[in-house]
Amino acid sequence: MSAMPRVVVVLGLTLGLSATAVGQGPSSPTRVLVETLAAERFGGREAGSTGEALAADYLAGELARLGARPLPGRDTMLAPFEFTAGNRDAGTRLTLGDRTFTAPDHLLALSFSDDATVSGDVVFAGYGIVVPDSQDFGYDSYAGLDVEGKLVVVLRYYPEDADRDTRAILARYSGLRYKAMAARQRGATGLLVVTGPRSPNAGTTVPMTFDTALAGSGIAAASVNGEVAAALFAGGRSLEEVQQELDSGNPHVAGFPLAGVTVALAPRVARVTATARNVLAYLPATSDVSGVDRPWVALGAHYDHLGLGERGTSLATGDDAGRPHLGADDNASGTAAVLAVTEAVARMPERRRHVLVALWSAEEIGLIGSKTFLDGGTVPPDSIAAYLNFDMVGRMQDNRLAVQATGTSPDWASLLERANVPAGFDLTLQADPYQPTDVQNFAQASVPSLNFTTGAHLDYHRPSDTADKINYVDLDRVAAFAATLAVRLANLDEAPVYVRVEETAGTTSRDGLRVFTGTVPDYTSEAEGLRLSGVIGGGPAEQAGLRQGDVIVEIDGQSITNIYDYTYALELLTIGEPVAVVFQRDGARQTVTLTPEARR
Amino acid sequence: MQQIHNVLAVAAVLIATAAPVAAQGAGPGEGAFLDRVRRLTIEGRRAGEGYWSPDGRQLVFQSEREPGNPFYQIYLMDLTTGDVARVSPGLGKTTCSFIQPGTGNILFGSTHHDPRSEALQAEELAFRESGQERRYSWDYDPEMELWVWRSADGTLQRLTHARGYDAEASYSPDGRWIVFTSTRQAYDRALTEKERAQLELDPSHFGEIYIMPADGSAEPHRLTDVPGYDGGPFFSPDGTRIIWRRFDEAGLIADIWTMDLDGGDPRQLTDFGAMSWAPYIHPSGEYVIFASNKLGFENFELFLVDIDGTREPVRVTYSDGFDGLPVPSPDGARLAWTTNRGGGREGQIYLAEWNHAHALAALEAAPARRAAAGSEDRP
Repeated sequence: MSAMPRVVVVLGLTLGLSATAVGQGPSSPTRVLVETLAAERFGGREAGSTGEALAADYLAGELARLGARPLPGRDTMLAPFEFTAGNRDAGTRLTLGDRTFTAPDHLLALSFSDDATVSGDVVFAGYGIVVPDSQDFGYDSYAGLDVEGKLVVVLRYYPEDADRDTRAILARYSGLRYKAMAARQRGATGLLVVTGPRSPNAGTTVPMTFDTALAGSGIAAASVNGEVAAALFAGGRSLEEVQQELDSGNPHVAGFPLAGVTVALAPRVARVTATARNVLAYLPATSDVSGVDRPWVALGAHYDHLGLGERGTSLATGDDAGRPHLGADDNASGTAAVLAVTEAVARMPERRRHVLVALWSAEEIGLIGSKTFLDGGTVPPDSIAAYLNFDMVGRMQDNRLAVQATGTSPDWASLLERANVPAGFDLTLQADPYQPTDVQNFAQASVPSLNFTTGAHLDYHRPSDTADKINYVDLDRVAAFAATLAVRLANLDEAPVYVRVEETAGTTSRDGLRVFTGTVPDYTSEAEGLRLSGVIGGGPAEQAGLRQGDVIVEIDGQSITNIYDYTYALELLTIGEPVAVVFQRDGARQTVTLTPEARR
Repeated sequence: MQQIHNVLAVAAVLIATAAPVAAQGAGPGEGAFLDRVRRLTIEGRRAGEGYWSPDGRQLVFQSEREPGNPFYQIYLMDLTTGDVARVSPGLGKTTCSFIQPGTGNILFGSTHHDPRSEALQAEELAFRESGQERRYSWDYDPEMELWVWRSADGTLQRLTHARGYDAEASYSPDGRWIVFTSTRQAYDRALTEKERAQLELDPSHFGEIYIMPADGSAEPHRLTDVPGYDGGPFFSPDGTRIIWRRFDEAGLIADIWTMDLDGGDPRQLTDFGAMSWAPYIHPSGEYVIFASNKLGFENFELFLVDIDGTREPVRVTYSDGFDGLPVPSPDGARLAWTTNRGGGREGQIYLAEWNHAHALAALEAAPARRAAAGSEDRP
């Protein structure tokens, strides 16, 4: 599974524990595959790495052994592609009068910045937030300011002391990309972001995030530290005083030009490209596919993982940091499931459709492998009847299996009911296809899709996600269940009907979120509320007395019915300020007090 | 086979405003009785009332799962393959199915012979389309008659012809008898003014239990004669008794009763002073599983009571919302029931492994039965 920006990363898992080996299954068909892929010699299978290339070769060999072939017109199952593997500051500079500030100590380019050199007068635009007119809530940091051809200085985040309702609205428009867009649209040539003295992480620069969007933002943008900020504000009131005025959230507190301040800004972002490989194969139909409605069925799982965890979505800490992230559950388990399904499908005497078998790379850094494939046209999406994705299916607990993206076709309910009657899983159905895994790309390409997962756990995105913790008995059951579905899909007269699911509104920007509660949400639960699959040792949730299995139904007076509500409610919390958390445990409502900490 | 509609509907309205809760798998406290809890039906808006074939390989149930008809139809599920096939005609309302031992024929109540069926379907769909909310009320349609789907050739045979609601039917273990609920007594005689008002307000008040030969070859014989809705009858596993639920005259309180096949020796098993209904006797013959809202008007839970009702009932489920219509498998090792624990207002059929040994132990440990306040006055 790729980083789950809205949730897990936000909630900030920081400690690894809990190692219960379950379901030994000595004769498990998936066990050898998981143990092989999650071995040290593949080094955590980072996209573009030697370990990933070795894993791809191994998987191509396994597929060939099962009787799968390279796609029509190809002589190899390996499908290499170029991708942006990361970015770093390559020497951003800012000149202010006779002083020159340099990266990385004083400032850092924002990852989406254009490489440009801009200079001019500087205007302070408060928090740099513009709430669209459509929101019927007047807030425009640029009101009355002329920033055309100038550089803009804005504060990071949103007003600290605003009441909750105001923060709820402003937070939505406080992402740095959004602030950059607002500045550019008003004619600014550059953007400088300051983390104010009254905010968390005061005076620090914004770490460069990995950003796969190749298109620039049309503006030169950098974050600066407290020293640079002090130099910018040296001629007038202190930044702290200015911020305090703004922090009430009063929309009438205006920004102002920084009199006599002229700067030159030259952000430099180095984007590193690398080559990764999808492994693509197929089992040909057993009869002529001409006349068959959408003649392909696709199975897929990503096999790449985080390598040594240096790209930012690792949650490893302490001694674990820098060790190989073996990714047994994420996603050697899904890869093994795809191979097991392939084997079962290959044994069936009849297939009216071709079965595409796709093992994706570069999923962890933005679902790039599957996107590249879908854009490439080798097998056009409109010829694919259905797509089954497997991401983290090796940690089943209590017979619970989540099936996601069911909203992509009204035909899924019937197919799933029929397959699950004999399989007997406690299924959780989630309509939403906008999951942080490759299923999202297929759903957006109008392919009826499903994702299978047994959910997140405390070893998620850590070196401790190892093969000995996989529940092989149930992993094999998941593969058998999916094989039943795959065979039916391959032989259906009419392909499932596709339905587009609208993206859930109100998703929040990552950089607006900053509290740490130490909760691990349970993705396989369809409980009304947010069920916890764990709490981080020593974190605020554990200190408050919450534990695994609790279902949070209310935080600080905000009712919680799902993970989106939860994330949204967290956004509104104030670090260090205790709030009441209402939850269900053993059928009874209880209330505890939780004090959120700052996320780093 | 039970009228779940009335009860579910009231519950549903209240659930919608109740606090959100954990609603997944086995709730706390259930684990001792229920293992591997899972949702069996997935397709469609709602499903319920699952009854097993005698060999435990099939389940017949009602579900709303096809476009064009907003009412329940009857479906047969093969538990080995997962295949599901509709056995009712698809038209009109149906309810309360049951598989005949020996033949595999399927008995159910249906209104498809009513020429107004299509119009009524369209009317209900239009009502839904309008976005209005209604407190669902099952109408005890006097057109409802008992029909049999013949497994041999898929043809339908009509068993009852009297005006009045004929439904909630089940077979005896040897397949030779049918026991069912009917309101026919309200249609075959002159009603007093008060009775006419009652029929208008709540026709279920006239529901009584009847027995007849499975082939419909003789007139039904009436077994109950107490004002208030008697319904939901089933035979005991040895075929010697009938279990059903009896509402009080006001239609608010219901309790579980058993009687002989001729209506003799009626015995009251429960006395919660609440709505206790949907009883089914475990194949061991030792105890009854039923649903009651004792713990909250909108919160139906499953309970057990010993077959003679000598002890206090024992609670089985612990999930807010609706748990009802429990039916143990013929081998007594599994339980199918209807619940909305998966979310939303509508029920679906769930399945679990049933811990019979624990049930016996829990009943053994239960205290002697207490009478509910004021219950001495009731029959």
